[in-house]
Amino acid sequence: MNPAFLDITGASRSFGAATVLDGVDLAVGKGEFISLLGPSGCGKTTLLRIVAGLMTPDTGRVVLDTHEITRKPPHRRDIGVVFQNYALFPHLSVAENVAFGLKARGAARETIALTVARYLGLVQMTAFADRSIKALSGGQQQRVAVARALAVGPKLMLLDEPFSALDRKLREAMQIDLKRILREVGTTAIFVTHDQDEALTMSDRIAVMYRGRIEQLDTPTQIYHRPATPFALDFVGLSSRLAGTVVASHERMLTIETAAGRLCAPGQFIPGSPVVIGIRPERVTVGAGGENSIEATLIDIVFQGARVQLHFEAPAGGRLLVEAHEAPSGAAPGASLPLSWRQADTLVYPAPAEGGAA
Amino acid sequence: MSTTRRFDPILLLAAPAVAYLTVVYGLPLLFLLGRSLLGTGGFSAFAGFFADPFSWIVLGNTVRSAALVTLVCLVIGYPTALVLARAGGFVQAAILVAIILPLSVGVVVKAFAWQIVLRRDGVVSQIFTGLGIWDEPQRLLFTETGLVIGAANIFVPFMILPIYSVLKLVDPRLGEAAATLGASPVYRFFKVAIPLSLPGIITGIAFVFSMAASMYVIPSLVIGDRFQTLATLTGRSFLFMRNEQLGSTTAVVLLALTIGIVVASSRLSRRLGGAA
Repeated sequence: MNPAFLDITGASRSFGAATVLDGVDLAVGKGEFISLLGPSGCGKTTLLRIVAGLMTPDTGRVVLDTHEITRKPPHRRDIGVVFQNYALFPHLSVAENVAFGLKARGAARETIALTVARYLGLVQMTAFADRSIKALSGGQQQRVAVARALAVGPKLMLLDEPFSALDRKLREAMQIDLKRILREVGTTAIFVTHDQDEALTMSDRIAVMYRGRIEQLDTPTQIYHRPATPFALDFVGLSSRLAGTVVASHERMLTIETAAGRLCAPGQFIPGSPVVIGIRPERVTVGAGGENSIEATLIDIVFQGARVQLHFEAPAGGRLLVEAHEAPSGAAPGASLPLSWRQADTLVYPAPAEGGAA
Repeated sequence: MSTTRRFDPILLLAAPAVAYLTVVYGLPLLFLLGRSLLGTGGFSAFAGFFADPFSWIVLGNTVRSAALVTLVCLVIGYPTALVLARAGGFVQAAILVAIILPLSVGVVVKAFAWQIVLRRDGVVSQIFTGLGIWDEPQRLLFTETGLVIGAANIFVPFMILPIYSVLKLVDPRLGEAAATLGASPVYRFFKVAIPLSLPGIITGIAFVFSMAASMYVIPSLVIGDRFQTLATLTGRSFLFMRNEQLGSTTAVVLLALTIGIVVASSRLSRRLGGAA
């Protein structure tokens, strides 16, 4: 594999007694679009600020394009940032905002005019060149912020929750637009978000972050279907959990005893280990005959348009969620129904330590 | 919405202030203006004033000393306001107290204090001779330099506070955004911080200039009669020379000067505010 374009090793940062970033390693390939996904306080924005040079890590190194930049000031890094609130200059017009970086680098006037025109065209804001920033809508401001960051031709683009201020419809349109623009320019990009749909839609790879660490770094498909930790399972998509104990392990196939019965799943655990089983709701079908099967009581049916959510209560209190295209005919809350799913769709994690949050 | 303008009862709340200012400020001002005009008839008092070369020296003293005081306050005050806006918690509170508390000390007390500091055997002189910068002790008291130093000390809060109140509202991410776009700290200062705080700078300049142009106690105590400004000349005319005609004329000239500065600056700041 080529050496990574952006290589972060052992980055840590504390504020007082709170460790916000706890030894993060991240390698990003050239042209890649990576999302940092996690709840607020997971360290994703801190990591972004360290890469941008707006903050220095307590320990660790940041290497960009074979040059170490850990302590380089932000204005000599060649990294574009789209801020959460866009941070457009209110005293400058749209075109002047886009021209700012080029002027600061002392580009020639003709170059500036051509580049500004090109990037305003790319984000479809040419007609607004002479407008005041205050006269723009949220979506328009975001386009200007993207054009401004791209105009200087940065080696790396960082986007800090750029869609959080937009309403849902506009957000989806802008996501597709932004993906197209970044692909057209061919920039390497890191994207910070707490929205799993955004991360799944936009990224080549996702880094799921929790408590200052990267829990899993993988493609959206793998993150969704093969979450590496209970946190990744919980944070991305919906899932159900059952507690159990491994009773047998044979050729990477586990037999697990749960309150609902015996289940089989691929994995490697020592017999006797307490485990947590996770299942995605769309992988479960109502009906007997699957590789893994249990009986559960239907407690609620939630109609969601394209899909129906069926809430079940497993024996001994576990909750199970099933997503189907339609409710099974004649099923009513209170009915006891068989549920089944494939062994390959059964995810197994070590049970959380006593008192620890999962 | 109706297009005819109706009387808004809330305007009545301004009535006490309007009445007060009319009686104790507006009317005396009118008398003053009237006296400057009526004494010898028409504008001849002003014609006489501007024909006298001494008047131009006084006017020059006033504008020059006020401009220097304003400049010193701006150079000292802007960085302070910047620190104050960025600081938080204890540091901010400490700086604010350090700026505001001295305002409660009377100007006369401060002027006397500066007399002691600026003397030939005062602290400034001792430090500079001690460091070898001056060959022998020098007296700053009774010089224009001393006046500017003393006046800047007294007026600097009026420069810091308006700039601070504007800078506080500037999003710190704008500076960060400029940095990530490749702007050096100096470029950021001149192209982002200064333009965005311009309304505060203009207000500060208007405050300090108009106060420094009309200061009376400080020049009287720090520099004495040799250096006349419009304000001290007005005072002398009324108190010692009993020349009410001259006194009211200089007072009106001073008033016109400061009103001009205040109006021009508020226009400028509104225009910039509209453009920004």
